[in-house]
Amino acid sequence: MPGRGRCPDCGSTELVEDSHYSQSQLVCSDCGCVVTEGVLTTTFSDEGNLREVTYSRSTGENEQVSRSQQRGLRRVRDLCRVLQLPPTFEDTAVAYYQQAYRHAGIRAARLQKKEVLVGCCVLITCRQHNWPLTMGAICTLLYADLDVFSSTYMQIVKLLELDVPSLCLAELVKTYCSSFKLFQASPSVPAKYVEDKEKMLSRTLQLVELASETWLVTGRHPLPVITAATFLAWQSLQPAYRLSCSLARFCKLANVDLPYPASSRLQELLAVLLRMAEHLAWLRVLRLDKRSVVKHIGDLLQHRHSLVRSAFRDAAAEVETLEKEPPGQGEGEVGNNSLGLLQGKRPASPALLLPPCMLKPPKRTCPAPPVSTVSGDEDISDSEIEQYLRTPQEVRDFQRAQAARQAATSVANPP
Amino acid sequence: MASVSRPERAPRPLAPCLTRYPPPPSPLTVGFLSMEEEETYLELYLNQCAAQDGLAPPRSPPFSPVVPYDMYILNATNPETAFNSNPEIKETSDGFSSVDLSFLPDELTQEDKDQPVMGSKHETEENSESQSRQSRLPSPSKQDIGLGLNSPSLSNPHSQRHPSDTDSVQASLEKPDSNSLPLASITPMTPVTSVSECCGIVPQLQNIVSTVNLACKLDLKKIALHAKNAEYNPKRFAAVIMRIREPRTTALIFSSGKMVCTGARSEEQSRLAARKYARVVQKLGFPARFLDFKIQNMVGSCDVKFPIRLEGLVLTHQQFSSYEPELFPGLIYRMVKPRIVLLIFVSGKVVLTGAKERSEICEAFENIYPILKGFKKA
Repeated sequence: MPGRGRCPDCGSTELVEDSHYSQSQLVCSDCGCVVTEGVLTTTFSDEGNLREVTYSRSTGENEQVSRSQQRGLRRVRDLCRVLQLPPTFEDTAVAYYQQAYRHAGIRAARLQKKEVLVGCCVLITCRQHNWPLTMGAICTLLYADLDVFSSTYMQIVKLLELDVPSLCLAELVKTYCSSFKLFQASPSVPAKYVEDKEKMLSRTLQLVELASETWLVTGRHPLPVITAATFLAWQSLQPAYRLSCSLARFCKLANVDLPYPASSRLQELLAVLLRMAEHLAWLRVLRLDKRSVVKHIGDLLQHRHSLVRSAFRDAAAEVETLEKEPPGQGEGEVGNNSLGLLQGKRPASPALLLPPCMLKPPKRTCPAPPVSTVSGDEDISDSEIEQYLRTPQEVRDFQRAQAARQAATSVANPP
Repeated sequence: MASVSRPERAPRPLAPCLTRYPPPPSPLTVGFLSMEEEETYLELYLNQCAAQDGLAPPRSPPFSPVVPYDMYILNATNPETAFNSNPEIKETSDGFSSVDLSFLPDELTQEDKDQPVMGSKHETEENSESQSRQSRLPSPSKQDIGLGLNSPSLSNPHSQRHPSDTDSVQASLEKPDSNSLPLASITPMTPVTSVSECCGIVPQLQNIVSTVNLACKLDLKKIALHAKNAEYNPKRFAAVIMRIREPRTTALIFSSGKMVCTGARSEEQSRLAARKYARVVQKLGFPARFLDFKIQNMVGSCDVKFPIRLEGLVLTHQQFSSYEPELFPGLIYRMVKPRIVLLIFVSGKVVLTGAKERSEICEAFENIYPILKGFKKA
């Protein structure tokens, strides 16, 4: 072909590109001399230079799918199949992985990160379709550390500029509750412990909604709250036989891991229910405690909206009314008092509706730092600096001590 | 111009003298004051001024500062208005300029005081007397503008004084009312909204990270040997970790001569600490200098005192917020202007970081406070 250079043997310009066993060669059509043989990398020989370009600087990376990328894409598909996700999810997750791979930082990342990236892409896809997949679940499947997962996840969301919606709590309740093995009798599950799935689901949902309204869910991992709610729902459906069962035993029976914070969430939820019970006329007389309130959870949930309004005063509204009115007036207890008068007894004054971290007394009061009048350009006295320097004697002592320590360690670890 | 954040800057002309002057109780109109009282006040004032010799001289009289006669006249016409324009500069505390009045010339930013008008008038009168025994010609324009403009907008309940202006701390000083003068309204001033919205919550600085170049190669082994407060473990980290007690800070000193100073609670403290570290290195025999001191990061925190619905906030401000309760209990809000990252927690505590200037932290908090207030009621 013209314009490709001259044959070094005969000087003809008739060079033809031919391939010999799939290796491209530039051959002179006159004398048959092979001018250049195909090289595995792209070269600038077409442009007259015979310089090689490293693969990372060529365009080969974007045109071909590298082996590790192929592996990653395969793992994404496998993960989607393991999780039994709908087929459309697979394509989206693969697309995200490919998109991520176009960034140099991801291409050059360690294998561990690329493994975790697989999980991130699947998680993002699930979140966008409101499929309740928790990070803990993915980390268990990938045998990955949550720290590594979290850093890769935050990085990839920022890199790809994605809008990832929050975990859908209602969906998570449904899938998580369904995983409890309590809906059929089995050797490990006594007959009295078996429960109807629908009833349990609906009651758990109501309890989780109540928890979310009373600040028990914000800022916390969602799963332990759902575990506690499921436990309470299950107990309340047949309290006579189930009150004796503890949370740990319940999870073991249901073949579900007990998350560590679940017991404290349970206590918080019970406290909320107890406060609500104080404002229900026929329950106030019963003087319920943490165990007996479980029997009445059904009633409490039925009236939960009005009970929450009467049992808790909004902290924000409280502050505003205090600001506007003189103190000692109108703290919102008038309504409750009228209710109480019917029974001839006063209910407890409404508690503040605040997250538990604000209700606990502060561990230690942080004293306001003293206002310093440092200008930054003050004189620094010599004595102040001297206090940080070793005297020559101290230096000698220190050196001697160091030498002695070195000798000791070298004796202890003979080479 | 308004915020006097560095003490090296010349204090405003009349400000320092006047602030240190304890307000004498005085009637509203000058006519009531007897000559003896005027003289004693003058003496008192001059004594005070003598004590402040080190300060930069007040501004020279082409804009000859307050000539009292005009003020008296004004006052006579409005005896009710306890007008109290002290031609003082409103000094912001700690350099927080939540109210940015930098576009105003000096006399116009004035501080609210509760002291009755005449006290300040006297001060200004005496001040002018002391400064220039020359012309008592009224120069109404400048001062009137000052007086007029002072009143309306500067009635913030939070008068912030510059703490480093040590002389000016006089607890006895009360704030005068500032009512609008009839002569006011020369130029409209932007209304002060930000301070009142924030309800006086000011983020506290918790940590400052700064770097400085000592401009000489250092022998880290020698430093670790001769300094008591240094630790050096080359296998773990290639720098000496040095600590000093006052201000309580930690420094990383590298062999190239660069140094990072962390742990200070204010910019001045950070600078002082960095200088102390440089001095220690100097005393160890290295020709250390102090070049390119720069504050790289400032961290502040505050409490809005009401719970925040983080789930709601992430829904409405999705493009800025990141809330993953499975990973971290707080919401990470990346503000675009100023470029600050805020960690917002359900208890209402807010951590602001990524600032290079104190004003950025304040501005970021002012931007976020109305957003958070919107989520106060669930």
